[in-house]
Amino acid sequence: MTQDRLTLRLIVLLVCATLLAACTTLPPATGDPRAMKFDPVTFTIPEVERIVLENGIIVYLLPDLELPLVTVSAMIRTGAVYEPPEKVGLAALTGTVMRTGGTARMTGDQIDEELEFLAANVGVGIGSESGTASLDILKKDLGRGLVIFADMLRTPAFEPAKVELAKRQALEAIRRRPDSPAGIAGREFRKLLYGADHPLGRESTIETVSRITREDLVAFHRQYFTPSGLILGVTGDFEKPAMLDALRKVFGDWKPQPVTLPAIPPVTALPASGSSRSVNILSRDLTQTNLRVGHLSVKEDDPDFFALALLGDILGGNSFTSRLFRDVRSRQGLAYSVGSRLVPGNLGPGAFLLYALTKGSSTHQALASMLDHMERLRQEPVTDDELQFAKDAFLNSFVFSFADAGLIVGRLMALEYYGLPKDFLQRFRDSVVKLTKEDLLRVARKHLHPDRVVILAVGKDDDFEQPLSTFGQVRHLTLKPGG
Amino acid sequence: MPRRIVVLLLSLILLAGLASAANLEDRVVEHRLANGLTLLLMERHQAPIVAVNLTYKVGGVYEHNGITGVAHLYEHMAFKGTRTIGVTDAEKEKPVLEELDRLAEAVMAEKLKGPAADQTRLAALRKRFTEVEAQAQQFVVPAELATLYQRNGGVGLNATTGKDVTRYFLSFPANRLPLWAAVESDRMANGVLREFYKEKKVVLEERRQSTDNSSNGRLHEAFAAAAFLAHPYGQPVIGWPSDLEALSRTQTEAFFQTYYGPVNAVLAVVGDIKPKEVIALVENTFGRIPARPPAPPVLTEEPPYSGERRVEVEFSAEPQLLIGYHKPSASHPDDDVFDVLESLLSEGRTSRLYKRLVQEKQLALNISAFSDYPGAQYPNLFVISAAPRAPHTTTEIEQAVYEELDRLKREPVSPHELQKILNQVDAAQVRALRSNSGMASRLAYFQAISEDWRETFKRRDRIAKVTPDDIRRVAAQYFTKSNRVVATLVKPEDGAGKDKP
Repeated sequence: MTQDRLTLRLIVLLVCATLLAACTTLPPATGDPRAMKFDPVTFTIPEVERIVLENGIIVYLLPDLELPLVTVSAMIRTGAVYEPPEKVGLAALTGTVMRTGGTARMTGDQIDEELEFLAANVGVGIGSESGTASLDILKKDLGRGLVIFADMLRTPAFEPAKVELAKRQALEAIRRRPDSPAGIAGREFRKLLYGADHPLGRESTIETVSRITREDLVAFHRQYFTPSGLILGVTGDFEKPAMLDALRKVFGDWKPQPVTLPAIPPVTALPASGSSRSVNILSRDLTQTNLRVGHLSVKEDDPDFFALALLGDILGGNSFTSRLFRDVRSRQGLAYSVGSRLVPGNLGPGAFLLYALTKGSSTHQALASMLDHMERLRQEPVTDDELQFAKDAFLNSFVFSFADAGLIVGRLMALEYYGLPKDFLQRFRDSVVKLTKEDLLRVARKHLHPDRVVILAVGKDDDFEQPLSTFGQVRHLTLKPGG
Repeated sequence: MPRRIVVLLLSLILLAGLASAANLEDRVVEHRLANGLTLLLMERHQAPIVAVNLTYKVGGVYEHNGITGVAHLYEHMAFKGTRTIGVTDAEKEKPVLEELDRLAEAVMAEKLKGPAADQTRLAALRKRFTEVEAQAQQFVVPAELATLYQRNGGVGLNATTGKDVTRYFLSFPANRLPLWAAVESDRMANGVLREFYKEKKVVLEERRQSTDNSSNGRLHEAFAAAAFLAHPYGQPVIGWPSDLEALSRTQTEAFFQTYYGPVNAVLAVVGDIKPKEVIALVENTFGRIPARPPAPPVLTEEPPYSGERRVEVEFSAEPQLLIGYHKPSASHPDDDVFDVLESLLSEGRTSRLYKRLVQEKQLALNISAFSDYPGAQYPNLFVISAAPRAPHTTTEIEQAVYEELDRLKREPVSPHELQKILNQVDAAQVRALRSNSGMASRLAYFQAISEDWRETFKRRDRIAKVTPDDIRRVAAQYFTKSNRVVATLVKPEDGAGKDKP
C-alpha cells in the first residue's frame, strides 16, 4: 500500500519535470509536506497553587501577567439534578436571578450599571451537574468587582420583579422549543436514554416553572451556596499574596454549613437497558431528518474510557478525517453535519452518541451507514495507519490543552469537583501512547452495541425512502406542548 | 528547554503593562510580497503554538444570479486537495474529471428540456455519470489535506464564507510552520476541484440545516432579499438551490482563478514565532506563486429609493421580527456613529432596547442591534432583531422600538452613556489579545475590509470622538420610515404544517 503510493508520487514528479509549465507554481523549496519531520512538541506546564481557605473554600491560583485583566471563576456543588421533580427549572432560575436580582448592598440595576461601566463581565449559572460563576475584569477595577461578585454568591436579594421577569422569560423559551429541530432531537434523545423522569433526562415544563416561587429560589440558594461547596480559580494579572488577602476580605467571614446532596437515582430507562434496538420517530414537517443514535456508556473513571475516547475520534470525532465524515459526508454526500462523540459521565453514566442530518429521502441510507460503521469497529481492528494517525493527532495537539492559564485552572477545578485525579490529562496521554489495535477491538466489542442502540429520527417519515422498521420495532413519539 | 524559559520570562517582563493601543500597534509586523500578498505577524510566546488566518477578499457579494453559492462551494472544494495532495495521480485523474463534467452538463441540458426531456437518455446519462464518478473516486486520497494538518497537531481547521470575505484558519504547534506553508501555498496556487458533485449535495444539506428548516434562516434570507433591489448583498451566501444544482465545475474553477490570487489575500500569523523566519518561509513558498490581476470590484450599486418595504415569511414557529435601515459602508464617517448606536441600543442589560423592551415593558424575549448587515464593505443595513414574548406581538415590539429610536432624535445621549461605550471598546481591545486565533482574525479582517489592519485601533479613536449631536443627526437622517425594511415571521394561516412551494 505505502509502496504503491510512493511509486505513484515519483511518477507524478517525473511528469511534472517534463511539463514544467504546469509545475512552476509548486513550491519546490520546501518539498513534500508528507515527508516533513518535526521534533516532538515540548512545553512546560505551569505550577498551579492550590490553597484551602480557613472556611473551606478551595482556591487555585495561576498568575499570567500578559494583559491587565483578572478572571475569577467559581464552581459550586449544586445542579439541576438536585432540584425537586415538581419544580424542574428551579436551579437554572436561581442562577439567573442571583446575577440579575441584586444583593444585600445593591439593587440588580445598580449592579448592572456599575459592571457595564467598568466593562466587566460577570455571570452566574446553574447547569445540570454544577453551578458556575465568573468575574472577568480589568485589573484596576478588581476591588469593586470582587465585592459585587462575592455579594452575588453570598447574599443575593432575589428581587421579586427580577424573579418574575426570569420566570416569564423561561416560559417563553419553553414555548419556543419546538422551533428548533436540533433542540427537539437533543431533549427527546436524552429522555429516551436516561428516562423522562430521571434527573439527567427530564426537562422543565410550563407547569413546573409556573409552580416555582421566589421562596424556592431563596431556599435553593441557601441550601447549596456555602464555602465548603465552593472552588475558586483565579488567573490573570495579580500577585498571589495580595490576591489571597483580597479573597479573604470578601469571602473570609462566610460561615460554612454542611451540605447534603440528594442521591441521584440509578438510570433504569427501558430502552437504555434493553436487549434490542429502540427505534423512535418523531414526525415533523421538515425536509431534513435529525438522526441520533447511541447508548449509555462509561464514566471518565472507567479504565476503558481513554480507549473508547480514541475510538470515538476515529469513528466520528475528528473533523474531515473521521470514518463517518469521510464516508457519510464526503463519499456519499448525505450530510453536512455527521459525527460521533463520547459524552463523559460525571454524576451519572456517560453516553456514546452518533448524529447526522440528512434529507428525508436518504434517512434510511444514512442510518444504515452509521450502524455499519459502529459494527465495523467490533468486527475488525482499525488499520495501523488509522491508529497511528489518531495517536499523532491526539499527542501533537496535546499542547492546546495547556494553551492558556484559564484552560489549565478550569480543568483542575472540574477534576476536583468530579473527584478525578489532577493528572487526569497526563494519564490520558500516557495511556493513548500505549494503545494497540487489539485494545481498541476489545474495547469496541465490550462497549459498543449497535444491536442495542437507541435510535431517534426527527423528521417527515413519509419522505423516508424505506421504513425504519428494518432496524427494529418502531415507536412513534409525540411532542408535548412546549416539549 | 532552558532557552524557552528565558525567552518566556523576557517576554513576560516586556509585556507587563503593554496593553495600550499604541504598544499593541508596535507589536504587529507588516510585510508585502512582490506578488501582492499581505502578511501580518504578531509575536505571542505564551505557549509553543501559532494561529493562522488566511483571508481572501471574496465572498457572496462577488456573485450574481445564476452562480449564487459559488464562493461558499469553492470554500468546501478547497479542502479536497491540490495537484499533489488528496490524489494518487492527478494527470490520470484529469480526463476522468473532465468526462464527468461533460456528463453533468449533458444531464443538465436534457433536464432543461422540461416535459420534452428524453427520459431514457437521461437515465443512461445518469448511469454513466455514476460509473465515471466511481472511477474518479479511485484517484482520491480521502481528506489528505486535513490529515496532514491534524497528524501534526493542527486544531480548529475550518473556513467560513461571508458576504465580503472567505477565511481559512487553524492553529498548530509552532514548529510545524514549514508544513503549513507548503500545504497552504499549494492550496492557493494549485487547488483541484475533485468530488465536486458530491460536495454540492453536502452544501444542499447545509442549506437544509441552516436555512430551509430554520425559522431564523428563512427570515434572514427573505429580509436581505427584500432589502436589496439590485445589490448582491440581497443574495444568500449559501446560494439558491437551483443555482447550486446548476453550477458547473468550470464556473467554480473560473471563480477560483479570478478571486484567489495573492493580491486578494491577507495572511495573519500570531503566536510563538520569529517574524524574520516566518517572512523568509512565506517568501519561499507563497512568494513563488505568480501574481494575478486584481479581482474585479462589485459594480452594482443599490439605487436610491424611498418607501418602507415589508415582507412576511410563513413558517410554523413562534413570531420573530427584523427591522433594517439602509446605511453607508464601513468607509463612511457615519459608520462609527452606527457602531456607537449598536452598543447604546443593545450591548448589555443597561442598553436602551434591552432595558425598555425586555425589562420594563416585557414585550420581548430578546432583542439585539447590529451594524454592517449583511456585510461591511458596501452600503448595508443597521438591523434590530427581536422575538416577542407571548401574548405580545411583533407589532407591539415595532412600536416600542420606533419610540426608542425617535427618542434618539430628540434627546441628547448622556456623556456617561458614551463613556461606558468607550470603556467597553477599550476593554474589548485588551481581551482580543487573549487568543492567538482571535487576534489573527481581527488583523486579517480589518486589512481585508479596509486595506489597513490599524483600523482595529483607529476605530477606537473615532468612536471616542462621536458626540451626542452626531447621534441625533444620524438617528434623524437614517431612522425613518421611508428608509426602512421590516420582515416578520408568522405562522401559516391554516395553522398546520410549514410553508409549501
